[in-house]
Amino acid sequence: MGRAQYTIRRILQAVPVLLGVAAITYFLMEAMPGDPVSIMLGPSPSAAQAEAIRAKYGLNRPVWVRFLNYLIDAVRLDLGQSIYYKVPVTRKIAERLPVTLLLLASSFTFAILTAVPLGIISAKRRNKPTDHVSRVVALLGVSTPSFWIGLMLIIVFAYRLDVLPATNLILPWAPVGSVDGADSRVDVLAAAGRHLLLPTLSLGTLQMAALTRIERSSMLEVLGQEYVKLARAYGVSEFTILRKHAFRNAQLPLITLLGLQLTSAIGGAVLTETVFSINGMGRLIITAINNQDFALVTGTTLVFGFVFVVGVIVTDLSYAYVDPRVTFEEAE
Amino acid sequence: MSQSEPLLRVENLKTQFFTEEGTVRAVDGVSFEVGEGELVGLVGESGAGKSVAAQSIMRLVEEPGRIVDGTVTYKGRTLVDIERGPDGDLRESEAMLSRREMRTDIRGTEIAIIFQDPMESLNPVFTVGGQVREFIELNRDVSGAEAEEIAIDMLREVGIPEPVKRYDEYPHQFSGGMRQRVLIAMALACEPSLIIADEPTTALDVTVEGQILDLVDDLQEKYDTAFVWVTHDMGVVAEICDSVNVMYLGEVIEQADVDDLFHDTKHPYTRALLRSIPRPDRTVESLDPIGGVMPEAINPPSGCRFHTRCPDAREVCREVHPTHAPPEEGADAAGAGNDGARPADAARAAEADGRQPHLVSCVKYESVGYEHSESLEAEATGAFAGGLAEMRGGERDE
Repeated sequence: MGRAQYTIRRILQAVPVLLGVAAITYFLMEAMPGDPVSIMLGPSPSAAQAEAIRAKYGLNRPVWVRFLNYLIDAVRLDLGQSIYYKVPVTRKIAERLPVTLLLLASSFTFAILTAVPLGIISAKRRNKPTDHVSRVVALLGVSTPSFWIGLMLIIVFAYRLDVLPATNLILPWAPVGSVDGADSRVDVLAAAGRHLLLPTLSLGTLQMAALTRIERSSMLEVLGQEYVKLARAYGVSEFTILRKHAFRNAQLPLITLLGLQLTSAIGGAVLTETVFSINGMGRLIITAINNQDFALVTGTTLVFGFVFVVGVIVTDLSYAYVDPRVTFEEAE
Repeated sequence: MSQSEPLLRVENLKTQFFTEEGTVRAVDGVSFEVGEGELVGLVGESGAGKSVAAQSIMRLVEEPGRIVDGTVTYKGRTLVDIERGPDGDLRESEAMLSRREMRTDIRGTEIAIIFQDPMESLNPVFTVGGQVREFIELNRDVSGAEAEEIAIDMLREVGIPEPVKRYDEYPHQFSGGMRQRVLIAMALACEPSLIIADEPTTALDVTVEGQILDLVDDLQEKYDTAFVWVTHDMGVVAEICDSVNVMYLGEVIEQADVDDLFHDTKHPYTRALLRSIPRPDRTVESLDPIGGVMPEAINPPSGCRFHTRCPDAREVCREVHPTHAPPEEGADAAGAGNDGARPADAARAAEADGRQPHLVSCVKYESVGYEHSESLEAEATGAFAGGLAEMRGGERDE
């Protein structure tokens, strides 16, 4: 089975998973205490009013019919109307999702770019001072909550030193005119970079620490493999062994972990967005929950589920790309 | 060949592993030579130090292992030369090649190695052809395209069907025997003068092993490559080796031409090894295993290291460490098939023909009073198994 076939199969397998996510989200919301009608109408509405609203939103129909309708609408990118914002849920998500994705992307980039070299150096200098330092840093990173790191970063860099902004995130795609003192796209990007720095560190440290630990142990394992010894026996230099013979194999556990970390990163994004007052998906979902905005909660949860499923598929596909045995074993 | 310098000379090589339990004397003063185009066997049980000896030659021993003494010379170049400094610390001598020189001049180019486990020796994420090609490019002065051509030719030569197609396949698409062929192709394709084969057929089943041995025999003749063949299998030794070094607990205890070793076996250990393998030309009721297990190399037994398991052991064996030398005349009381020639003379004659002189480390062949020494009561470790072996011997006589 080739990689193309594997890719298609893997994507098709995601369909039932997404259906499952949708069903669980929908029925959980359904089972939650509280009646959307009473929220919409305020205290003590008349029975006739309530009935009219029920009929208008189709809430008088059986739950499975409503679920099927919801699914059909969802495929058409219609996730209903937000009760709180009084706009379509999809419009709200389209506005907020890119912000969160930007935050996730920048923190993962930061994590990978620091963790991989740190892990490799740590493995190569095993039990030497560099290794100890990087291990302690990694351990601290794993055990420190991201919101605490966020608060500390704000106190130090935004409040005491006053070198980096802590609020009013500027997005890289913001119109040039809307950003203070920016004359060109480059200025906007620079400002966005400065604004992103603290949230990225706050969210990325945990990922970075966990990835460093995995990279180190996986690199150590690969460096002890027979094929690495063989390469050495054939005169391959230590640098080439690291760069070529060991590197690719050592990234497999890292890729697995990256996929899994997407969940914790999404959770972390909720906290980070709150700490840095960023208007992303995380704050949206909190607003939705606090205001019992049923459609918005279901919609945002569904989108998070979707993001996660996409993340897992990307993980699996990169796995297949890095390790030729994956597509082969599937075919067995 | 007799007068000229041998291709590889290993002298008093000692490699130790510094573990928490103590110092493991894995290789403890091993000396042997390999002539050009010669196939030299390194035989012994698991843990005898064969693989460590083989890897020490190429300085591939990894932490916590370390070469602590001895010299290895190859084509007049010093691969290993350990000296003791004024305060007893170990030093690499000036003559010893640098790590860089080892990498660029020796590994792969001059000496190639084939590892024991074909399933683990190829990198799973690269194509088989790519891996062979990489090593050729690195060790021979050829372009990438030429290297690919050489790789495909060599894969064909070692008996891989459809080498052009299989060149682009991954190791997991190859069987164990095929992977072993790839490793052999890798070694040969670099055109080294010496190949160290570290139990290359141990992981294979017997039919495949037979094919591989035939293949090596043919290729060895064709390319005139010298081999150090590490194995625990006397059958393999008989099939392909020119001369043999039998190792026990880090020491070479008998060294001889393959014919001498099999027909004029001197050391009780070698004899026991030979008795413990099935032979089609002899019918026996049961095979005769060597009693007990090899002791730990952390605390090797005093005197002769084999005395704890040796059927011929006497008091003197526990006290005197035998010298590795030609067996002395008349000393071989229980010796088999001595044709009357003085062994020391025979050894000198052998050397003059360029054959391996017959050397043995056993006090039976030394004038240290073996004949008058008390027979050794079997020690606790060997007693049970020794008793069993005797019982079996008794049953067979009836």
